[in-house]
Amino acid sequence: MRAWAVASALVLLLAPAAQAAPEDTANRISENIMSPFCPGVTLHDCPSQQADDLRERIRRWAAAGIGEDRIMERLVAEYGEEVHAIPPGDGGGFTSWLVPALVALGGGVFAATLARRWTKAREQDREREDLRARRALREATPEQRERLKAELAAQEAQMLGGVDGGGLQT
Amino acid sequence: MTFSLASLGRPSLVAALALMLAAMALSAWGGTKKQSAAAEAGRRALTLAAGFVVLAGVALVTALFAHDFSLDYVTSYSSLALSRGYTLAALWGGMEGSLLFWTMLLCGFSAVAVRRRRGDDTLLRTWATTVLAGISVFFLVLLIWPANPFVVLADPPPNGTGLNPLLQSPGMLIHPPLLYTGFVAFSIPFAFGMAALLTRRLDESWLRLTRRWTLFAWSALSIGVVLGGAWAYTELGWGGYWAWDPVENASFMPWLTATAYLHSVVIQEKRKMFKVWNLSLILMTYALAVFGTFLTRSGILSSIHTFTEGPIGKWFLPFLALMLVGGLAMIGSRLDSLRSENRFDSLLSRESAFLANNVLFLAAAFAVLWGTIYPIIAEAVSGVRLAVGPPFFNSVFIPIGLALIALTGLGPLIAWRRMNPKAFLRMIRIPLGAGAATAIALAAAGVTSVGALTAIALCSFTAVAVGSEFVRGSRVHRAREKLGWPAALARTLMRNRRRYGGYIVHLGVVLIVLGFSGASFKVERSAHLAEGSSMVVGDYTLTYEELVRGETGEKEIYQANISAARDGELVEALTPQRNLHKVQQQYQSEVAIASSPIEDLYVVVTAIDPDGDASVRAFVNPLTWWIWAGAAVMAIGMSVLLSEPSPARVRATSPARVAKPAVATR
Repeated sequence: MRAWAVASALVLLLAPAAQAAPEDTANRISENIMSPFCPGVTLHDCPSQQADDLRERIRRWAAAGIGEDRIMERLVAEYGEEVHAIPPGDGGGFTSWLVPALVALGGGVFAATLARRWTKAREQDREREDLRARRALREATPEQRERLKAELAAQEAQMLGGVDGGGLQT
Repeated sequence: MTFSLASLGRPSLVAALALMLAAMALSAWGGTKKQSAAAEAGRRALTLAAGFVVLAGVALVTALFAHDFSLDYVTSYSSLALSRGYTLAALWGGMEGSLLFWTMLLCGFSAVAVRRRRGDDTLLRTWATTVLAGISVFFLVLLIWPANPFVVLADPPPNGTGLNPLLQSPGMLIHPPLLYTGFVAFSIPFAFGMAALLTRRLDESWLRLTRRWTLFAWSALSIGVVLGGAWAYTELGWGGYWAWDPVENASFMPWLTATAYLHSVVIQEKRKMFKVWNLSLILMTYALAVFGTFLTRSGILSSIHTFTEGPIGKWFLPFLALMLVGGLAMIGSRLDSLRSENRFDSLLSRESAFLANNVLFLAAAFAVLWGTIYPIIAEAVSGVRLAVGPPFFNSVFIPIGLALIALTGLGPLIAWRRMNPKAFLRMIRIPLGAGAATAIALAAAGVTSVGALTAIALCSFTAVAVGSEFVRGSRVHRAREKLGWPAALARTLMRNRRRYGGYIVHLGVVLIVLGFSGASFKVERSAHLAEGSSMVVGDYTLTYEELVRGETGEKEIYQANISAARDGELVEALTPQRNLHKVQQQYQSEVAIASSPIEDLYVVVTAIDPDGDASVRAFVNPLTWWIWAGAAVMAIGMSVLLSEPSPARVRATSPARVAKPAVATR
């Protein structure tokens, strides 16, 4: 994953004083377009000879001082819109971002609502639980009590590191 | 004509199909009518069928090693010159062989999983047999008709066309088998989950029975995915390890949902919550594993890996649909029995952390799925061909990955059920300080990349948080049992392997993220070099010393001897190659990497001119080494997790354990 490369590229772009070397500009462009020669991978990652040649052309353009936008225009003119590794942010391409964002948001809201509802209902539950536990304890035989104590101890050993109010035994 | 084992291949598959159908029917009948004899007969039919499938697999492997070019498959994926190891790899090098391998694993695992054990749940096992036999039937049908690996050529050629040179790498000997093992092993928890639905035995027993299978499947898949990255890194020659190509995504999606499942299972076992959720997750995971197999094997997406375009795509979609619709319908019809037995006590609780973990993993899985299939949908809807490439995935994964790594550190600090915010602050103080200190130190050292800075700071936060768990555990053992630190640490680890093994896995993940963050600092340069000339990449000066030619039976070798110097001092001698594979008449680059924990110097020759000039691509990849180190740490954690005694045995011995309380009571 060259995740951070993209992030750092963004930072470099935003930094006013930073002047990227033409080589780095060319590399970045090749990371942001799909290879017309190997399906499914970027030009940067494509091992074919033609990809090598195209990368070389982009490097020469960048070295000649042609701007990133102009180079992208040339590439789109030559290979069509599908060279963009991210669908451009208009029309149909927009959906590629919108849908996952909405789904993630929906999932988060759903989970949060669920958690809150469960949290609210906890009071009654806890009372009922306590009641049941107390009754069970009253009816327990001495052997059962002994075993309970031992199991609690074993559990405590398992829960080492639990903090105030942390362990299951609370 | 002499007898060949290969002639037994297809008949074995037919026999296996007949037996699997019998296994399905018998176990379903036995389960419905509570006829234990029928159920047992079904189980034995499944075991026997597995034997026949293995026989078919042995037949194909034997044919490959015997260079039996009368088989179409052997001709297409192997050759006389192919070495022994790669001849074995040819078993999963093509569509038919890899499906046979898949089915072999499926039947083998099934036979082991449904074997009789003391104190197990017979009814659950019987219905799991039905489900597993049903899945096997589907794959056997594929193998007998549309994807028959035993097609005989009327006119056998003297030699085969050999295996794709890209696949001739040591990684290919273990990467595909591990991925397949992971995919297939999820059949077991899936089948027992479905059996739990069918029998309405919706307590935790299906989870307990399949816990080790889940861990095993997840471990194999994780290591398989990492090895895929390692293969790409050392073999493909573009200086990276993950291209977000559809086939990589296909292995990554089930991993994401499986990881969510692995975590949410803990909540069900501890708190009897999230039952519907866990069943849905295992259904999703298994569906994605089958979808992954389908994606890679149908040719629907073209990718560098999808080297086969076969007729089996149209078989997979109905199967997948049946599985999903059937599974969801069954979960829907059992909702009343699947209600949570507990509630959330507080939003500041371990349960909430697990829930957040699940939301993030699912969002990640959905984003990958969406990015992978969006081009197909867009083309179908609007007719526009467009691409969703790595920049999309990277921009989605940076925030999700950062949140997950933070959660990895937060989770262990938060108690189950509820926690006093003051206690939480006390717990988080030290890890937070470590993270902040790291961020300040990096900024002072001149790191300007916000992404890398955040990632490394979070790594340090999480490492300290997880590490402090070990310290806390050991301290208690030290105090109570008067042990030294190493002994106390070992005791902590072995007493609760599930918990501390998991923490070791988390530490491995931290190292892997550290390795990812190094990509921010990478440098890449290309040059066309004549012998004796030099180029500069990062701090290194690379000099192309000479071209060395050689030849083996398989290939013509062109090796560029390149020396690397830093500050005028020779530090490395690198020998990247550009080789012509004779059978395929295909050039293939062999990368040279000088690796260290600080940075990798990565050199690849992309072309060599007749006059000996070389096109060289060179990368300095900082911290990449930590990815592989982290994977090794994860593997250690996985072995600790898997070394936990099986739940059945634990139950058998638990009275004894209770009788002698190991640690002091209150």
